[in-house]
Amino acid sequence: MSNVTLSKVNKIYGSGRTGVHAVRDLDLAVPDGEFMALLGPSGCGKTSTLRMIVGLEPITSGDIRFGDLRVNDLEPRERNVAMAFETYALYPNFTVEENLAFPLEVRGVPPAERRRRARELAELLRITEILSAKPPVLSGGQQQRVSLGRALIREPAVFILDEVMSHLDAHLKFQMLFDLKRLHQELRRTMIYVTHDQVEALALADRVAVMSNAELQQVGDRNTLYNRPANMFVADFIGEPPTTFIPVERRDSAECARLHATGAELVFDVAAERIPDLDAHGGCEFMVGIRPQNLHLCDHGATIGGKIVINEYLGERSILSFVTGDVTLQALAPPDTRMAPGEHAGFSLDPRDVMIFDAETGALVT
Amino acid sequence: MADQARPDDRWRHVRVLFLAFLGLWLLFTLFPLYFMIITALKTTAETNLTVPTFWPELFAFGNFAAVFAEATNFDALIDSFVIATINTLLSLFLGTLAGYAFARFPRQAGGENLAFWILSNRMFPPVAILVPMFFLFDSTPWGTDSIWSLIILYLVFNLPLATWLMMVFFRDAPRELEEAAYLDGWTPLRAFLRITLPLVLPGMISVAMLCWIFAWNEYLFANLFVGTDVRTYTIVIPTFTHGSQTLWNLQMAFSLIAMIPPVTLFILLRRYMVRGLSLGVVKG
Ligand SMILES: Nc1ncnc2c1ncn2[C@@H]1O[C@H](COP(=O)(O)OP(=O)(O)OP(=O)(O)O)[C@@H](O)[C@H]1O
Ligand SMILES: [Mg+2]
Repeated sequence: MSNVTLSKVNKIYGSGRTGVHAVRDLDLAVPDGEFMALLGPSGCGKTSTLRMIVGLEPITSGDIRFGDLRVNDLEPRERNVAMAFETYALYPNFTVEENLAFPLEVRGVPPAERRRRARELAELLRITEILSAKPPVLSGGQQQRVSLGRALIREPAVFILDEVMSHLDAHLKFQMLFDLKRLHQELRRTMIYVTHDQVEALALADRVAVMSNAELQQVGDRNTLYNRPANMFVADFIGEPPTTFIPVERRDSAECARLHATGAELVFDVAAERIPDLDAHGGCEFMVGIRPQNLHLCDHGATIGGKIVINEYLGERSILSFVTGDVTLQALAPPDTRMAPGEHAGFSLDPRDVMIFDAETGALVT
Repeated sequence: MADQARPDDRWRHVRVLFLAFLGLWLLFTLFPLYFMIITALKTTAETNLTVPTFWPELFAFGNFAAVFAEATNFDALIDSFVIATINTLLSLFLGTLAGYAFARFPRQAGGENLAFWILSNRMFPPVAILVPMFFLFDSTPWGTDSIWSLIILYLVFNLPLATWLMMVFFRDAPRELEEAAYLDGWTPLRAFLRITLPLVLPGMISVAMLCWIFAWNEYLFANLFVGTDVRTYTIVIPTFTHGSQTLWNLQMAFSLIAMIPPVTLFILLRRYMVRGLSLGVVKG
């Protein structure tokens, strides 16, 4: 009943020349009980999508279904959804406890039960000590947790959470991510979680939908997004430090397919199983994407080499930036790597880890 | 060399200047009130002295009773009160609804231009519409001499103000609060009444004060429109004469009595007034 399906959904704010196309032809299916994260940079239309799902924003065109029911014309209160707002939207003249219990009060739950649920949730969200405070005196992070709590207190068909952890410190966020994940496993309700932080999305969600520029780029689990990104945007957005992109030209040698970087003395061998895809695509100009994780520092058999420019020490790892020709690449290395700028370093790269994209459209070729 | 005033001393001069200015300003604003009070307490003979006295020789407290010798004078206060109160309630009711529409549905409600046009209704000199309004109300079934003509006429001035200010207050009240309530199962009307309205209440109270005081004090239109069946206190004040002589003491006594309602209201509601007029109403 509570699988959510969006088909060809569009949202245009305003009209005519000044209109903003905030969501474009969005097709998305969230099966019942799934934890789906909606990930994308600021302004890509995430909040607009959520507001259409819950019914706060009219849909310009397209259909939204909960199960078999088309909800386009249903009022928000008829859709049985709970939402945590990006702006918290706490009632300023209610106490935290009253805010938390409000959805239950509206539904006529008896006071004792409301109180019990509110306390239970406050425990989970670590806000028991502010239950009798009013929202205007709370910090951003506290307000955010109250707002999350108000969305979680009842058990609707679908939970919609809009950037509910953006104001929490890393430590608290880590705990709350864990708690939320556990809560989802207990409730097994459909959850749609919006964030622009890939760490949150990948940590929590069964599947992640990546949006950019009003359009859905790719939906998939973490492995798919990481290893088979649909296009250069996803490859760039998922993964930290970011993928390096290098323009290349296909110039095959006698025994194997080869990609030559246009701005440097770099040659990438194409893994044998990828050649058919490359042939099918045709053309000879491509973009190659290299993840820093896939470059391994080595003394012998290096396929890529360059001069170190920065050695960033980040605790559990180091990021080495090196140049070759006019290309700058980054590689992850163990934290104890002693490499000074100016030194020459060699790296090995498995041809299967090379992502090849269409140079014009940015779509993944293989 | 001799000029070695320390910073403290210099600040003291500024302070003295400031206090002197404040004193002058107080004198300037409070003197009329003082003179009003003492005049209200003087005998008629004393008010007519060529050289005015600044302290009554005899305290004629009887003046305050004498103003009601004419029984209809008390009715005038009642009429004014009724007109101002009904007008305020209407202005608030209509202004709140209109302000909400402009704040939440600007496009459907006619946009920024219409909103500004409504406010601009407040900007022309009232006397410009005095005569047209007279003929307009004269052709109504109840004529000009009725509380309803003034109640409706004052809407011309109070409604734009109420609409505009309420619009500003509603813009400040986050829309998501209502939306959260919709999701939790409330109807838009209920969310408006229970969530948003309490947020703008301080603002509403100050709007009510402004409207009420305008309607209570209005003289120009009242003087022309009413006078027989209905009298406002403002048109009663000039009637305290004896032959060709103005009875200043009775006028002042009556004016003082007429000041009591607005001053009381102001004192009772000043907490909301300050919060409402400093615009940050919603932040709590
Ligand atoms: N009510 C509105 N009227 C006009 N344009 C809007 C409105 N709401 C959003 N937009 C525009 O639509 C686009 C998408 O906005 P949206 O709020 O959905 O982005 P988002 O992905 O949630 O961003 P963020 O991560 O910053 O919250 C933006 O360009 C924004 O300016
Ligand atoms: Mg958003």
